Amino acid sequence: MKKKNEKAPKKIAITVSNLHVTYRGLKKTSIRASWKHFGDKIEKFEALKGISFEVEEGKILGIIGKNGSGKSTMLRAIAGIFSPDKGKINLHGNTISLLSIGVGFNKKLTGKENIYLSGMLLGFSEEEIKSKEKAIIEFADIGDFINKPVKTYSSGMYSKLAFAITAILETDIMLIDEVLSVGDQTFKSKSYNKMKELISDDKRTVIIVSHNLDTIKNLCDEILWINDGEQVMKGSADEVLPKYEEFMKTL
Amino acid sequence: MRKFFHNIRKYNKYAIRSAKAELKSEVADSYLNWLWWIIEPFCFMLIYTFIFGVVFKNNELYFASFVMVGQAAWQFFERMLTGSVNLILNNRDLVTKVYVPKYILLYSKSLTYLFKMFISLGLAFGLMLFQHVPLSWHIIFAIPVLMILYLVSFGIGLLLMHFGVTLNDLANLTNIALKMLFYLSGVFFNIRKRLKGTVGYFILRLNPAAFLMDELRKALIYADMPNFKWLLLWTVAGALLTALGIRVIHKNENSYAKVI
Repeated sequence: MKKKNEKAPKKIAITVSNLHVTYRGLKKTSIRASWKHFGDKIEKFEALKGISFEVEEGKILGIIGKNGSGKSTMLRAIAGIFSPDKGKINLHGNTISLLSIGVGFNKKLTGKENIYLSGMLLGFSEEEIKSKEKAIIEFADIGDFINKPVKTYSSGMYSKLAFAITAILETDIMLIDEVLSVGDQTFKSKSYNKMKELISDDKRTVIIVSHNLDTIKNLCDEILWINDGEQVMKGSADEVLPKYEEFMKTL
Repeated sequence: MRKFFHNIRKYNKYAIRSAKAELKSEVADSYLNWLWWIIEPFCFMLIYTFIFGVVFKNNELYFASFVMVGQAAWQFFERMLTGSVNLILNNRDLVTKVYVPKYILLYSKSLTYLFKMFISLGLAFGLMLFQHVPLSWHIIFAIPVLMILYLVSFGIGLLLMHFGVTLNDLANLTNIALKMLFYLSGVFFNIRKRLKGTVGYFILRLNPAAFLMDELRKALIYADMPNFKWLLLWTVAGALLTALGIRVIHKNENSYAKVI
């Protein structure tokens, strides 16, 4: 990854330092249960135990790790859905969107209405969305369903629309959680190509979480491997992937 | 607090759009469409007026208008409280996928409830004309009363929204409390006449629904001066509840996604 812009000064898009996320405290409870357990020690689960890394502007970071290692938690923390319990996340003023299976749709509303609402939550104005509405609908390619409530969608259509919204409304940083395999074969290759096009933009910073090592290998400049909330290693695909594959075999 | 106003400005357009879309979706598939927004409160008024006016022989002056005004205020209050308890849970998809200040959800919801309340108040106005209720300049007092009603409901709503995330029983508790408040707020009877003495005195002041409903009727129907002292007290209480609610939510909102 150093090859690309050796001379240009590095511009950092994301800085994560000593990130800790703990699940605790606000536990679901009922009055009866809280009475019984009053004074009990609160259970804690540390999902992330001090992760630090930086991503340069325009780079693509892949995150790998077995199920439950804290990958999705980390993306959600970076997207601002969780606040870190310890440590800091600095986005250096960039806009960010998290693309995971199904963005925040209101299922009672039509797909079209959801394009506007999701877009506005991502920080775009109504006018900006309006100018891109057609492109989104075209890319999502779900026909007349765009005017129907989202609850009537198949899971494939749901993901297609979600992907289209984030892909066409381009934010500076895109976080992608396991969605490159949405839809049928045609949409898959279409979204893969769109992904590549977005990624080739020098300004766009991307973090991808995936279990598909081929995707990771083909798209990412750098790879971060985490296990049980801890950083195992970070480096190029050639360095990390063989060790990761070996590790996964031992499980 | 500054953050709150900043966020309200920032997300105002989203909240309005979301409220509009929600209202549209509510009636989209029904046969009578938006007419339901008028039919529903009107029918409730007819039922109450018939049962309590005819069956229980309530001889309150302008009873139909009396019921309609009371119902408009009550339904707003009730919707705000029941709506907020499960608001975060009902928006799970949104809350776990994108950051939005959580009170924006309540704010957006409240716009739909306000819309419905204004329809009910419009109907009440129609009924008042129909029943030849003498109109007076006191009607302007309805504006501060409605603002206080909003403030108090919003404040209580914020707190219910927060505790509703972790406390499973809160929805049940709220339902019971609301049922009690409903019968003690005088939607279909006049507390001044039916509950004399200390009990009536306190209910009319300490139950915000009863107090504000009564003030609203005084402004719209009875051409009476409002109780400024208690209006001021409830403004302060509403502001305190809202400030507390905002504080609690700012402190905890990032953890909601972990729980639900």
